[in-house]
Amino acid sequence: MMLRVRFHGRGGQGAKTASRILGDAAFNDGFNDQDFPIYGAERRGAPVAAFTRFSDGDITERGFIFSPDIVGVMDDSLIEDPLANPFAGLRKGGCAVVNTTKPSGTLLPDRKDAKIITIDLTGMALKMLGKPILSSGIAAAVARVAGVSEGSFLKAVADELREVGLSEEMVKKNVEFAMAVYGELAPLTLRTEELPSKLELVPLAVVVSGEGMEDVTQTGNSAVRHTGNWRTYRPVIDYRRCTDCMICYAYCPESAMSVGEDGRVRIDYENCKGCMICLTECPLKAISQSGERGLQ
Amino acid sequence: MATATRFRTLKDMPSDEYLTPGNTMCAGCGGILAVRIFHKVLGPNVTWVNAAGCMTIAVSYPLSPLKSNWIYTAFASAPAGAQGVRDALDVLMAKGKLPASEDMKVVVVTGDGAAYDIGFQSAAGAIDRRLDFYYLCYDNEAYGNTGFQMSSSTPFGSASKTTPPTAANPIGNTHRKMDLFEVWRAQNAPYVATLSNSHGVDFLKKVEKGGTIRGPKMYIDFAACPTGWGFDPKDSIELEKLAVQTGIWPLKESVDGVVRHTVVPRSLLPVKEYLTKQERFAHLFEPTERTEAIRTIQESVNSYWAVAGAKEGFAVKAAEVT
Ligand code: SF4
Ligand code: SF4
Ligand code: SF4
Repeated sequence: MMLRVRFHGRGGQGAKTASRILGDAAFNDGFNDQDFPIYGAERRGAPVAAFTRFSDGDITERGFIFSPDIVGVMDDSLIEDPLANPFAGLRKGGCAVVNTTKPSGTLLPDRKDAKIITIDLTGMALKMLGKPILSSGIAAAVARVAGVSEGSFLKAVADELREVGLSEEMVKKNVEFAMAVYGELAPLTLRTEELPSKLELVPLAVVVSGEGMEDVTQTGNSAVRHTGNWRTYRPVIDYRRCTDCMICYAYCPESAMSVGEDGRVRIDYENCKGCMICLTECPLKAISQSGERGLQ
Repeated sequence: MATATRFRTLKDMPSDEYLTPGNTMCAGCGGILAVRIFHKVLGPNVTWVNAAGCMTIAVSYPLSPLKSNWIYTAFASAPAGAQGVRDALDVLMAKGKLPASEDMKVVVVTGDGAAYDIGFQSAAGAIDRRLDFYYLCYDNEAYGNTGFQMSSSTPFGSASKTTPPTAANPIGNTHRKMDLFEVWRAQNAPYVATLSNSHGVDFLKKVEKGGTIRGPKMYIDFAACPTGWGFDPKDSIELEKLAVQTGIWPLKESVDGVVRHTVVPRSLLPVKEYLTKQERFAHLFEPTERTEAIRTIQESVNSYWAVAGAKEGFAVKAAEVT
């Protein structure tokens, strides 16, 4: 029997490492495995995905996983993101593990045929690691649900994190974080649907340049990308303190600040990436940070 | 020599934006900030000619954050591309097919990989031909787009993908950063300047000054790279500031070969204050402090400023060598 797992995260959260940890852990348990990431042309904060397959028999499938048995979603803002579309193709009877503080019932109301498990990994990671790096946490959640043994899993966490060059101290903290997550959940018996092995051809829509999609003569059209969903924290201006000195405006790398007709600086939350340069540079400490998605 | 400038404080930064939000660079990237500010001074009529690097991804079809024009070239050949654009504009104007009001400024934008290494010869060629263009290198001191491999711009003591600290070589990169400013100056580029985003007014003035000069105008911007250097994006500007205050990144310009430092720190902050804030130098402090390497860095900064001060007649208090 084969399990196909797809991880969705944002660049920098550790999706690729999670897929490696899970693959390695399953291998330690005696399975064959594959793991690999997909990179778009984007960076820290942008949606990324990574895949793990493991099986007690040979694995003859190759390529991206379009019909996963389990998806691991590292950031609940990805659910609304059409670039990520994390639940796409999730098999009937499959399972989605979502890092969120929202109740599970609200996440995927129209998929009664799949199990949704929620866990606040970001909260746990901030507490235990001091930063929102989630690779070992999401790998732990998926490994537990998939029934990977604890010993094999913890060895994989330590091995993989050492290999990416983490200090012994961080490896130890990550192992503790992973153990805590592993302990929170219970294994599931998944009975996912078998899919017909013959693939159907999908007709592609005809795209006419300039109609429905931007063409090469378009300029200055990147705002539709909505990089605002890269943020973990949002900057908030206290206008009672702000003296309109424009320093934050000058140093925003994103042009995500503009000056209104009233001479006041405004933040475009659709695209502000939350780098917090404005907060650091404001001489009057008029900018504070507020957590997105229930973070403090 | 004081020339009239429209930039006295940061408030004078033009409010016109030519970069729309939603680009794909990392949060806190110094490189894209440099492009944003540079563009503000140049105004709307610009064609950017790009060599492969992080910035290549900023403009990825079908979405572009630039309100101006953008051309990709091969890694090695952005200045050659710029020559083609400049010539085309000149020919069209000479034939009366393009009104002078539609003339454009041609700007090469590259990372240090193309500027210091792979595209070095084509820049040299353009300088030799006195091509009338701007050249902006956002220098993040390694190949950031492919995972931070060492370039000729990587400083001494920095870790990179290709110069990891090892038992045999615990300090990382053993080469010194190449002095591209001096190389360009030696080729008689009429204007060469270093920039730091953290010193916005100095930055604005230098781009403005370039506009009064015909021929190659070469700029190296010290572009903080949170992803490659390993620091929190919120500190991008602070790190650039520290690089200037420690004397590691001198702000200067050369007009027809005559060098003038435009920001002179009275007394240098110790380089340690800059180094300890970045993961790429962490191995110089943990698990054991690499005193020798840190001393080498401090001494080279101190001696740089002693020599520059003697030439230009200013005095900079060196930082203590420990
Ligand atoms: S957090 Fe960064 S991107 Fe957002 S407004 Fe501030 S400086 Fe701009
Ligand atoms: S830096 Fe602070 S005081 Fe100045 S405009 Fe921005 S928020 Fe207002
Ligand atoms: S790797 Fe560095 S230079 Fe490249 S986009 Fe990211 S922050 Fe900018």
